[in-house]
Amino acid sequence: MKLAIVVQRYGLAINGGAELHARYIAEHLARHADVEVLTTCATDYVTWRNELAPGVETVNGVSVRRFRVKHQRDPRLFGKLSDRVFGERHSLADELDWLDAEGPTSPALIEYLGKHGGAYDYCLFFSYRYYHAYHGARAVPSRAILVPTAERDAAVGLHMFHPVFRGVRALMYNSHEERAMIQAVSGNEHVPGIVVGVGSDVPQNPQAARFRQKHNIRGPFAIYVGRIDQNKGCPELFDFFQRYAKEPTGRLSLVLVGHSLLPIPQHPRIRHLGFLEDADKFDGMAAADLLLMPSYFESLSMVALEAWALGKPVLANAKCEVLKGQCVRSNAGLYYERYAEFAETLHAIEHNRWLSGSLGRNGRQYFQNNYDWRVIERKYLDMLAQLQANPARHTMDPLPGRAERRRDDLAAAQDVLDRLPGSSGQDRRRA
Amino acid sequence: MADFNIRSDSVNVEQIMEQIRARIREKRGVDYTEQQISELAAVKMEKFLDARGVRSDLLEEFRRMRPPVDAPVRPNYVFDETTLFDTHRAPIRWIRRLLQPILKLFFNPNPLIQALHIQSQLNTMQAQAEAEQLARGPARDQLTFEVMHNLVLEATRMGIEVKNLKMRVESLSSRLEFNERRARVLESAVVYKAPEQPADRGFQQPAAPARSDFESRQSEPRPQADYRPRPEPVQERRAPSAPPAAAPAGAQPGAPEGPGQRSRRRRRRRGRRGGASAASVMGAGPVPGGSASVQADGHSGTPHESDHEAEPSPSDDLPDAADFTPGGPGDPEPDDAQ
Repeated sequence: MKLAIVVQRYGLAINGGAELHARYIAEHLARHADVEVLTTCATDYVTWRNELAPGVETVNGVSVRRFRVKHQRDPRLFGKLSDRVFGERHSLADELDWLDAEGPTSPALIEYLGKHGGAYDYCLFFSYRYYHAYHGARAVPSRAILVPTAERDAAVGLHMFHPVFRGVRALMYNSHEERAMIQAVSGNEHVPGIVVGVGSDVPQNPQAARFRQKHNIRGPFAIYVGRIDQNKGCPELFDFFQRYAKEPTGRLSLVLVGHSLLPIPQHPRIRHLGFLEDADKFDGMAAADLLLMPSYFESLSMVALEAWALGKPVLANAKCEVLKGQCVRSNAGLYYERYAEFAETLHAIEHNRWLSGSLGRNGRQYFQNNYDWRVIERKYLDMLAQLQANPARHTMDPLPGRAERRRDDLAAAQDVLDRLPGSSGQDRRRA
Repeated sequence: MADFNIRSDSVNVEQIMEQIRARIREKRGVDYTEQQISELAAVKMEKFLDARGVRSDLLEEFRRMRPPVDAPVRPNYVFDETTLFDTHRAPIRWIRRLLQPILKLFFNPNPLIQALHIQSQLNTMQAQAEAEQLARGPARDQLTFEVMHNLVLEATRMGIEVKNLKMRVESLSSRLEFNERRARVLESAVVYKAPEQPADRGFQQPAAPARSDFESRQSEPRPQADYRPRPEPVQERRAPSAPPAAAPAGAQPGAPEGPGQRSRRRRRRRGRRGGASAASVMGAGPVPGGSASVQADGHSGTPHESDHEAEPSPSDDLPDAADFTPGGPGDPEPDDAQ
């Protein structure tokens, strides 16, 4: 079986959620099939500048074919089009312009798929919201398997994506919440889909003491791992933690791991360590009392899964349905919506060793049951076998004609999102 | 913080979150979110504004009531020294200029020209000021709206906080009241102390060799806590000479007494031998029958003591009072084990 993994960026140095997800899946499926990765020459997800050479190379034993990006993102144009399609009545042409402005616009990749798509049994497209997934799935609809990695943001309300959700051969969801949202917005219940997620290569013996010694960290602490960004809920985390630190019973410190796009508050109990290598990161997670996940938008938090794999409890932002759902299903994490809950849950995990131990044990079990690589691989292989056994019974709706595309009759994407079940009116547009 | 009441070995996160939320409600009263405060504030604003027939959307209302208007074009004129004699006909202008000295023989036009010139300048300045004021109008309305909105929000927040603080004050008042009552009970133990009854001495063991309190507590078993229902507290204060209240069943004269009671009595006697009894110092008369006294606020100080001996002296009871904690501050009576 020959598979293509189509993703916006790819490489060992790229640690974005969907990209890492794609790499892990490619490397694990390569044990069972002939896998080739189709991607762009970009490494920066903001500019999509061509930084790697086009052509074929091998990364961790997987063949990677890169294509040039036609133009970089123009932030002003992208912002203007985002305001239009998310906030106003607009046309399909506006949405296509938005997609083109978002990038990574690589017509060469789409052209390659159009010409050589027949050489692959299936093409797995990662991240529905990018140019390569939309146009790629339209180029080879009968072979397209979509891994949407959709979050509860306004992009899911864009009308152009709905025929894609309905027209691909199968969808590999990251969470039950993601599946419910996509089914509600597009009505694609007839398309085969399964909640899979992704595993993680967590070391067996992380060295907590080594981490403490290396970074001179003493006492109990909570850890945050990931990009320190507005969209990740970090300003709220800083605010809550500084208030918590004023309370006399709170003894935890906060350790931040990851690149920062925000100023870090100057506080004696907040430490920013920057980006760490995987081994160091896992040591840090093993040394921590808990993992904090303040993000509003997640399709699947790999960091939370890694914390659970290490037997650590997670404290998540309840405004993110996916994180809350994972905490409830796993019984391995608590969640908060406002400061009072943040402080109480943090105190509970900090002071009740039985509770934190039980949450950690549940997390480890949840990870083993659902996100062990053997489970993930089996789910993918079963889905591929099912698709081979059952020929496609549905097709993708073609793009409407030029005149119809220009008609301003589409509702604002934010309004579409707000009308979805479970919307609390607080779902926000990604910055 | 850590006292979650989870009896099962398995963790149920939703159940824990419910407990945490209940705990938050207990600790902080009703904890409103920012959105809820805004909603409350909006309701109040509507009520407030309805009385004046104005809608709650203040800003829009301001705009509607004061629609944006262009600066009005007010008539003005230019007036200088030649204006009076000016004309578009050149010959006439020439003749007027020629005859101007003759005109000045009849009256002086200069003050008139100056006054009208100044008036013209004043008109111009006034028009400019009005135009600027109109241009600033929407921004000022916006600021006014923000100030009002913030004031209403803060007022709502303060209202909620005042309500919570009132609840806390009530809670503290009740605790204070209880503590005062307890203090009065302990003080009255001194005032209404009954004199020693010689007959009671028959129950007592010969005086033991002097031992410290600690030793006697260590060597003798502590009486078991009695969880039987307690007798109803006496509702009104009785005079010291009044007959004693009915003693509880376990406190009948001659009923067997525990080793703890005996040791307490020994301690009390030891204390009394050191000087005159507190009752005699305070001038309290003997109590007929030597009954346990009923105390000031209707609570029986030691209702379960079976002996008809004198009330304990403060030096005996005060350390014991500190052991009331099993019931916590809300416990209305001392523990039987004391």
